[in-house]
Amino acid sequence: MPHVIELEDLSVKLGRREVLQSISCRLGEQGGGRAIGLLGPNGAGKSTLIRTLLGFHKPLRGTARILGYDCHRFPRDVKTRIGYMPETEAMISDMTAVTFLRLMGEISGLPPEVALEKAHEVLYHVGLGEARYRTLGTYSLGMRQMAKFAQAIVHGPELLILDEPTNGLDPAARRRMLELIREMKDEHGMYVLLCSHLLHDVEEVCDDVLILHNGRVVHHADLEAERRSNRRFVELEVIGDDSRLAEALLEEGAQAVNEGGGRWRVVLPPGVTVDGLWRLLARENLGVHKLNQRRDSLEEIFLKAVGHIRETPGGEAQREEAGAHGRI
Amino acid sequence: MAVYKRGYGKYQGPLTSHSARVLAFPRMAWQRLMGQRLVLIVLILSLFWPLGCTGYVYLANNLDLLKTIGGAAPIFSVDGKFFLVFMNVQAVFATLLAALAGPGLVAPDLANGALPLYLSRPLSRLDYVAARLLVLGGMLSFVTWVPGLVLVAMQCGMAGWSWIRPNWSLAAGVLAGFLLWVFLVSFVALACSAYVRMRIIAGALVLGFFFVLAGMAQVLNSVLRVEWAVLINPPRAAYHVWCGLLGVEVPDGPGPLACGLALAGMTVLLAWVLERKLRPVEVVA
Repeated sequence: MPHVIELEDLSVKLGRREVLQSISCRLGEQGGGRAIGLLGPNGAGKSTLIRTLLGFHKPLRGTARILGYDCHRFPRDVKTRIGYMPETEAMISDMTAVTFLRLMGEISGLPPEVALEKAHEVLYHVGLGEARYRTLGTYSLGMRQMAKFAQAIVHGPELLILDEPTNGLDPAARRRMLELIREMKDEHGMYVLLCSHLLHDVEEVCDDVLILHNGRVVHHADLEAERRSNRRFVELEVIGDDSRLAEALLEEGAQAVNEGGGRWRVVLPPGVTVDGLWRLLARENLGVHKLNQRRDSLEEIFLKAVGHIRETPGGEAQREEAGAHGRI
Repeated sequence: MAVYKRGYGKYQGPLTSHSARVLAFPRMAWQRLMGQRLVLIVLILSLFWPLGCTGYVYLANNLDLLKTIGGAAPIFSVDGKFFLVFMNVQAVFATLLAALAGPGLVAPDLANGALPLYLSRPLSRLDYVAARLLVLGGMLSFVTWVPGLVLVAMQCGMAGWSWIRPNWSLAAGVLAGFLLWVFLVSFVALACSAYVRMRIIAGALVLGFFFVLAGMAQVLNSVLRVEWAVLINPPRAAYHVWCGLLGVEVPDGPGPLACGLALAGMTVLLAWVLERKLRPVEVVA
């Protein structure tokens, strides 16, 4: 199955610094809307990767392909298929929103009359219908973000590249933005590459996540699979004699670690549900003080990937840099 | 269905050609330029001189009319010198228009960071520059070679074959001379606009480019007692080229070819400035 984004040994050098170092990965299987989250600490190379995909930077080595087209060799084919929402301010302040979107539509290949119609349609859709004849310079930050999003979708791209789309939005506008992104993915079948430092946004919208650190891929995860695997991990606190519990769990195929004081960490095997665990505990005459189906949040995945913590926090989690920086 | 009731739908129809996409820029830019009062005023003013010249051409071909309304008929001639004067005046208007309209084409895009948006669409930097040049070139053509050729055509129509035969090269001279100037002035306007990114300062810089270079050339010529400094004076160098093209005696100093090469060199330099400045992202090494 072809992938939306394919990077092969991609290296990009800016000035004297190799910002991306031999990145290879395949993101998002084609065949239906899918969102890919691009994460990484500041200076990890996220923006450079996006700009390379847009053809703004020439790779030093390797290739980057979008929907099968080489970004450097066939930029026009690539750009016809993508919509880009930059992080920075990017619009003509003395242009009305309709004129701006119409221009963006036309340079993307829409016939003039269609571009005008789509400009109105999209502005209504993102909630700027009443303000569409106002100049962009008079817009608030939230409205500008929406206008930037609108210009990215006006021509109906196959891949939507969004750089920090929820920056500067109030909670309601942020929710609306995330809804719109989900809608583009689920209802209009668009692929989305979402770069954000707000992990919660990525977690809410994305199916895959790529974590960059120091110009390298440190983690590439299918978030849905992560969520599934997280469902198998249980934290338990029991009351009573639990000396036989480890044996009983092992008989069910579950692995368990006793942390003392009735606290257990259990990994359930496929086929064993939490209900089954309840029944087992009842058989062993143990009272349940706490049963927590723990999951690795994206934040934990991210922190592990970039090396701030070595394992999932809780119990004996080692916090590598906590002492030095007091961050975790 | 009303647009506001429709909701978002992905466009599935055919896309326009590449040239149609590039032409979207000039179309919108011309609309915006025509909305600027000062540009419109200068544009209208710049058409008075061609109008006066048509009257001159008419009278030159109808001397009997002057005799009938009394007075001695002055000597009118429509030749290379006439077109040289015409070109000089129109070149001034073209420069003014470029200074007014040019900076508004690139500076706002750079100041507002719109370039990454444009270049994330199926357009290259070359397309962008070509589109911007087309905006200026189109508008300046309206006050330069188009009225120039209209005058030539009018003279041809009125004077007939006897005038065309010895003067056929005037049409080519007017066209080539004006195109050279339009190109240079457009590049100056775009490069200044890309360099300073502020519309008003860029406009001043466009005029400053011509005045400062002219002043420098004058100083060099006087101090060093030479004549080659004309090469760095764009209006004077263009004048030498036009003289050559229109078959008028070239003033002392470098010949039309040397001046033409100097102007071409300046254009290349300005194109280099554009290449350096018009980038979707700036990389700080």
